[in-house]
This record gives sequence, C-alpha cells and structure tokens, in this order.
Amino acid sequence: MAAARWRRWNTAIHRDLGYLCAGLTLVYAVSGIAVNHTADWNPNYRVTSSSAHLGGLDPASFGAPGFARETLDRLGLEGEVRGTFRPDPGTVQIFLEGTTVTVDAATGQATWEQVRNRTGIRQANFLHLNHPKKLWTWMADAYALALVLLAVTGLFILRGRKGITGRGAWLTALGVAIPAVFLILYF
Amino acid sequence: MRLSMCAAAAVLALLACRPAEQAASSTPAGNPEAAMDAAAAVEAVRAFDTGTTYGAPITLTEVTKVSEILNSPAEWIGKRVLVEGLVVAVCEMKGCWMDIASDRDFEKVQIKVDDGVIVFPLTAKGKKALVEGVVEQLELSEEEARAEAQRKAEEHGEEFDPSSVTGPQTILRIRGLGAVIAD
Repeated sequence: MAAARWRRWNTAIHRDLGYLCAGLTLVYAVSGIAVNHTADWNPNYRVTSSSAHLGGLDPASFGAPGFARETLDRLGLEGEVRGTFRPDPGTVQIFLEGTTVTVDAATGQATWEQVRNRTGIRQANFLHLNHPKKLWTWMADAYALALVLLAVTGLFILRGRKGITGRGAWLTALGVAIPAVFLILYF
Repeated sequence: MRLSMCAAAAVLALLACRPAEQAASSTPAGNPEAAMDAAAAVEAVRAFDTGTTYGAPITLTEVTKVSEILNSPAEWIGKRVLVEGLVVAVCEMKGCWMDIASDRDFEKVQIKVDDGVIVFPLTAKGKKALVEGVVEQLELSEEEARAEAQRKAEEHGEEFDPSSVTGPQTILRIRGLGAVIAD
C-alpha cells in the first residue's frame, strides 16, 4: 500500500515536472547545439560581407564633411551615419545601424559587413548562458534541480523487465558510462 | 540606470565647485588636464541617459580622454577611469571585449571584460559607449602574441600570417567593470 502510494507520487512528480520543464528544455537544447559549434558559425548573429570597387580615393578626403554620405550613396547603402573612425591614415570606417563600411584608399575597395540578430536562437543563448543574471540565475538553478528530480523519478516510473531492475538498469549504466568514457579520452 | 546617470550628472555638477585635489582619483599626478573640463564631462555622461548598462553601474563622474591615457600609459596603469568613445569593434563570438575610438585619429583602446560576466553585443558597433574600468598593461611574449593574433584572425574569419607577429608585444587596455552603450 505504501509502495503504491510512493509510486503514484513519483509518477505525478515526473509527469508535472516534465510538462513544466518542456519549454525550458527546448530553450537549453536549441542553444546548446548553437553554442557547441561556435568555431563554425556565430550562434547569435548573421554576419554578411559585401564589397565594391570605388576607384582611386584620396585619403585626405576621408575627413571631409559629406564624405561618408557620398560614399554610402555610391554603394547604395541607406541609413543614418552613426560615426566614422580612421584606424590608420589610409582607411576609414563608416558606421550605420548594424552595418560597418570599411574603405581602403590604397585599393579603392569598400567592404561592408552587415550584422543581423539570429532571432530566437540569440534569445535562447541569452538565457542559456545566463547573461540576464539577477532573478534568472535562481530560475536556472530551479530548472537544474527540476532536471535532477526528473532524472531520479524517471528511473522508477516503470516496473518489471523494462524498469530499473531490467532493461532500465542497462540503459542507465550506458548513460553513466558515456560521459565517463569521454572523460577518460579527453580529460 | 537612468537614476544612476542622473546621480552621476548631479555629482559632476557639484564637482565643478570642488577643489582639484578631490578630483584626483582618476587623474595621474602631473596631468591635471587629462580629464575633460566639468561641463564637457557632464554633457558626455548625460548623452548616455537612454543607454543600456552592462556590468556594474558607473560610479566615476569625470571622463578621461583616451588620448591622454595613451600619451602616458605608465601613469595610468592600475587607475580607475571613465572613458567615452565610439565603439569600433566588438568580440564577435563572446562579446568579451570591444574597442572604442580615441578622441584622436588612428587610435583606439580595448575594453576587456571577463567572459560571460559582461557581454557586449555585436550590434554595439557604431554606438557611443561610456566605460568605467581599470587601466592595465599586458606583456605578451612573441609566442603569446602570435597565439593571440591567430585567435583574433580566426574570430574574424581571416587568414592568419604568423610572420605578422615579429616579437613580444605590450598591450594597453582597460579592464571594464561597467559600461553604458547609447541606444
């Protein structure tokens, strides 16, 4: 009788925590894949680069009023000029909202880089990597504890051959062995 | 944030009437002109009223020109400063550093923050930033300098030429504690 009551509680906790954690798990899973591959892509931004040849340029004109606007017009780029910067005498950078144009006097080449948010994934990364801090830190801790409870209660959902005393034991052992093997290989 | 900026501006207004020795926390000895005059500093700080705060709130009220720090780095190392400038580059992967332009052509200074503690958005490029931090100097061996240059090249998806690093390097940067980036 006591055992049956215990199992009912175990199942109820596992079921309700599972519902509660579904959204958070998706956020963490999507972001986990995204940030796992930072060597291959930028998980937060889509950065595109373009270039055009502007021909002979006199670096002395870089500081002239109207130079930035005129250059943008020649490149067909719209938007308010937020600022300019000269990293060296032969180069000028022009900044627009989300776009940086770099003009090289020596080559007459203009390249511009446009930065766009990866909507959805950036937000997931923001939460996953705990950039908000503050209350989110507690929320993330609570979620981690909920995952512990989900894992433990999950072990005891089924009884019999497919439960923790049968096939479940082997699969659980495999789940423990996987990280252990990678630790042996790489740690 | 807005409250702290208003408080900063108010304190700054009071500073205008304050004896010079009290304002020395971010001004090295012998360089009293290093900080902007009070009125200009008030304007500089006020411009960030509608910005986004990263890290700790700004506590200093006097803005120091980047060019002054670069003029005599040794005098500034270890000092807490408030600098202001256009964001001209941001760490693409982790947002763990950004470069702000000096008030003088062809110069910039890097703001380095602890990974994950403060994260500067890539979209900050071209916006004005007000940054409080501690000036620090890094001495890199040739090997370390090469590794750092390679890391940066990879981050920008550029080809790395090992011969571009020819010896040890000294890097002056600001360890960022807090920043406001104008919207």
